[in-house]
Amino acid sequence: MVDERIEAGQTVERLLLNEQGGDMLFRQQKGSTLRLFLFTWDEQTGQSAHTVTVEQEGENCLTEIYALSYLHGSMRHSLRTNVRHKVGKGVSNQIIRFVLTDTAVGEYAGEVILSPGAQQVDARQNNRNLLLSAGTTMRTRPCLEIYADDVKAAHGASLGQLDEQALFYMQQRGLSLGEAREMLVVSFMSECIAPLSDMAERERLMAALHSVIQQG
Amino acid sequence: MENILLEICDLHAAIDGKEILRGVNLTIRAGEIHALMGPNGAGKSTLGAVLAGHPSYQVTGGQVRFKGKDLFAMEPEVRAREGLFLSFQYPVEIPGVSMVNFMRAAVNDKRAYEGKEPLSASDFLRLMREKKQLVEMADKLNNRAVNEGFSGGEKKKNEIFQMAMLEPSLAILDEIDSGLDIDALRIVANGVNRLHREDNACLMVTHYQRLLDYIVPDYVHVLANGRIVRSGSKELAKELEEKGYEWLTNE
Repeated sequence: MVDERIEAGQTVERLLLNEQGGDMLFRQQKGSTLRLFLFTWDEQTGQSAHTVTVEQEGENCLTEIYALSYLHGSMRHSLRTNVRHKVGKGVSNQIIRFVLTDTAVGEYAGEVILSPGAQQVDARQNNRNLLLSAGTTMRTRPCLEIYADDVKAAHGASLGQLDEQALFYMQQRGLSLGEAREMLVVSFMSECIAPLSDMAERERLMAALHSVIQQG
Repeated sequence: MENILLEICDLHAAIDGKEILRGVNLTIRAGEIHALMGPNGAGKSTLGAVLAGHPSYQVTGGQVRFKGKDLFAMEPEVRAREGLFLSFQYPVEIPGVSMVNFMRAAVNDKRAYEGKEPLSASDFLRLMREKKQLVEMADKLNNRAVNEGFSGGEKKKNEIFQMAMLEPSLAILDEIDSGLDIDALRIVANGVNRLHREDNACLMVTHYQRLLDYIVPDYVHVLANGRIVRSGSKELAKELEEKGYEWLTNE
């Protein structure tokens, strides 16, 4: 169990890669920034479950959560995020992406709470899921609770498959079906990797991801 | 015989069990420009899609030889690498895939197929720059996602840009003129004309005589009810403009 207080004005960037799971609580003080990257794609991870709770306790906080799960073989991954805006003027943005193939199972539950005092908050939560084969299962439950009236809040969740028209278009230009698929899958996932501030880390992770996709 | 690029013999094709092409015969030689016209629903776009290998269509009869090889024995990407290019009536938007990455993959896949080394990064970027000028496209194209947020005119120019990058031996241009204003039409047509050579050919699918003022065809064919019902010179297009298609389809 992680319980971390992020001090006023501090910026914290965390990357959790292929961890089995656990509970994490971040308490953000005034004017602090939390950028959390949670990536799961190694088959060795097997079954994993994460619960991330972020509480904005001071005003003017920024919370960014980028969660990316590429689940293959018989991997099972469950993620729960709780973002609690306890005070006003905070911003939160959650980008949650699952890609599932083989017989993988994914689960996402996301809760955003805007407390009565959380005026002028901008809260966003977006969960998109790409199902690459028929044997996969994905459950998603986005949830928004708003108790303040002067706020912006958006959430959305979708499940889909690769665009057949795009695949044919790419093949028509000479890409193999496998190569076209990989390009579309990587572009879907890169939304979670691109915001990493360390360029070398970004490139290392993209390379790791490519090799996982090619093996799978 | 040697300069025959495409030979379509008695081609039949269907979608969802409905026959659209009912015995198409067409021969295209190197150096030629053909125009394919005809009423809506005649099967013009279907012909392009079937030749390119769109998975929704079933070939139910006949055969097609492309540069002497059995076209239907090849996967869609192999047809492309062999030099068959289809410009889409509605080019597909591919969010997250940049033009530069897409084109690098396409160009280098074709080079690998031809047994050539991949282009170096600098040579590739030089090629992109050179070909962009052909269709007067802005420099920022490289990092834009494929067709995403492009205007109708930009999408059509982007098709001709990709054609320029891939240098196909046969380009099938499906309504490359639809949705274009006069300026964009002129740019697209100039691009096609400048890419035309003695060793390649072009099949233009169009509704309008207007395009043929810019790209002058050697042959004009009329497709109706899944068959080519009339072939002629560019004068045939003018006759169609005056009389419509009915006099042909009623015959």
